[in-house]
Amino acid sequence: MFLLPKGNPLHENIPAVKTDIPELLGKLKSDRFSGYANFVFPASVGILLFESGKLVSVMLEEGEKKLSGFEAIAAIFNQIFAAGGSLNVYKLSNDLTMCVHALLHGEMLYKGQELKLIDVKGLLEKLKANRLNGCLRIYTTDKTALIFYKDGAPLGFFHDGCQDIETSASESQKIAGLPGAKIDVLSTKSADELMQHDLLEMVNFDKLWESTASKQAANLDRIKQEAEERDKKQLDNKLKGLEADIRELAAAYVGKLGQTLVEKELQEQGGRNCFLDRKGAANFLLGIEKSAKLLTSLSKLNEMLNLMKSEIASKTKELGVK
Amino acid sequence: MNLMGGTMAYELDLNLINLVQVVFWFLAGAISFYFSIGNARIWTSISIGFFLIFISQAYLLNPWTEYHRVEVIHYIIGTIAIMVMTHGFQEYYIFSRTLEVSGSKPKVYLATLLVVLASVVFVYINPKPSFTVMRNIKMIENTCWVFLCLVNLDMIRKIYLQVRDSVIAKGFIAFGIVFVCIFLWKGAELYLQVYLWDKAWLDIISFSNLTGEASDFALYPDRINFSTLVHQVAGLLSGLSVGGTFIYLYRLLR
Repeated sequence: MFLLPKGNPLHENIPAVKTDIPELLGKLKSDRFSGYANFVFPASVGILLFESGKLVSVMLEEGEKKLSGFEAIAAIFNQIFAAGGSLNVYKLSNDLTMCVHALLHGEMLYKGQELKLIDVKGLLEKLKANRLNGCLRIYTTDKTALIFYKDGAPLGFFHDGCQDIETSASESQKIAGLPGAKIDVLSTKSADELMQHDLLEMVNFDKLWESTASKQAANLDRIKQEAEERDKKQLDNKLKGLEADIRELAAAYVGKLGQTLVEKELQEQGGRNCFLDRKGAANFLLGIEKSAKLLTSLSKLNEMLNLMKSEIASKTKELGVK
Repeated sequence: MNLMGGTMAYELDLNLINLVQVVFWFLAGAISFYFSIGNARIWTSISIGFFLIFISQAYLLNPWTEYHRVEVIHYIIGTIAIMVMTHGFQEYYIFSRTLEVSGSKPKVYLATLLVVLASVVFVYINPKPSFTVMRNIKMIENTCWVFLCLVNLDMIRKIYLQVRDSVIAKGFIAFGIVFVCIFLWKGAELYLQVYLWDKAWLDIISFSNLTGEASDFALYPDRINFSTLVHQVAGLLSGLSVGGTFIYLYRLLR
């Protein structure tokens, strides 16, 4: 997950699916917003980075997988509809936004260098000389500190557990002093250069949002339909079982004609679904009684009808029919 | 054999046996009618048919049968009896094939009553029946019984095959026995009538010897006696078997 400064929070923990994202993006653009929108999903995080109202980068991190650009936008929209998630919007200065960009998309100048093995002082002098725009990440297995640079001068310090940029380097120095501490150096373009690209101009967010919404609705419909079909099949199988039991009872009490009688009465009541309806089941039993009394004794008939009644009641109760 | 003396003895025997028969038919009719009240619709036609047999046979006890029209009505009711019964078995056969039950008890009662009333009207709007006409009507009754008994036997066989593993199946075997008895009872009388050996014909030629008609009654005593015996015994057995069948059915369906 990303460790990013929160700056000035504009929105926090808003349900993403209830937000009109294209409208929000439009508003951020018109307000010349700098900072980032952070989408938190159950298994992933998405970041939309703005520089003076321009969407300069998008990233989605899902475990080891990282997506950027259009792919990330599409994935974030999909996740919103599929998993819901929450939305946070944090306002940062233009410079800090540039540093966050370095952190997310910057060019890796040094990666995983052990601090003990490098000349830190020399490195810092080199960054100053090269007028680095970017970020230094100092980390151990369980702690991380970030130092943001603009034109080779540090803008501020940021580390685990703090909400915003700090001016004191003490925590970063502490982490740097830990055994096994490593350093990454990431550089990026200047804020002005970053603003030369605006994804809001390049991608039709309204259309993408609508198509994702309709695709998701279609998916939901399909899932719902599949679930309904599965339920229907299960119900039908259980009703088939009930019909078989009723036929067996009829055969035992009325004889061979009993089975035909069950078939005929079910057909007249519109199929075995009549068992689900109290009136339908009563009519079915009435039909059976009317014909069966021409074939069997009254005592046997009553016994059979009682057994059928209790069989229907218990099986339909299992199916959740009142 | 003295024709007149023989005829009188024969007549006495017949009266006694017929009286016993009527008692049996009364019991059978009462049981079947009771059965029709408390049971399924299809049984109504069958049991009403059997009840009507009692009505048709009751002419032997009816003090007004001296009126020819009344006696003829009894014969017609006998014909209606087998027709209603056949209709009932036909309906049961259809039920055993399609499991469809239609109609209602009141309709069956009403339709039977209307047919009986129509027959009464028919008899009363026509001239008073002579002995020959009465005998003809009795012959028609017997003919209907003989042929419809065969039809019913075939229908009962088919019904039995359909319902043989049901509780009611043995009841249809009993009905089969009933129709064999009735076939013999009515068939024997029809045989005597066709060959002019029946009592009614002997009465006609004895009391109204106007046409010069005769009978060869005396030439075939064995077959006449045998047929008469079959008619009497089968008649008794018919009444007994019908009563027994309905009691058996009542127990089966209880």
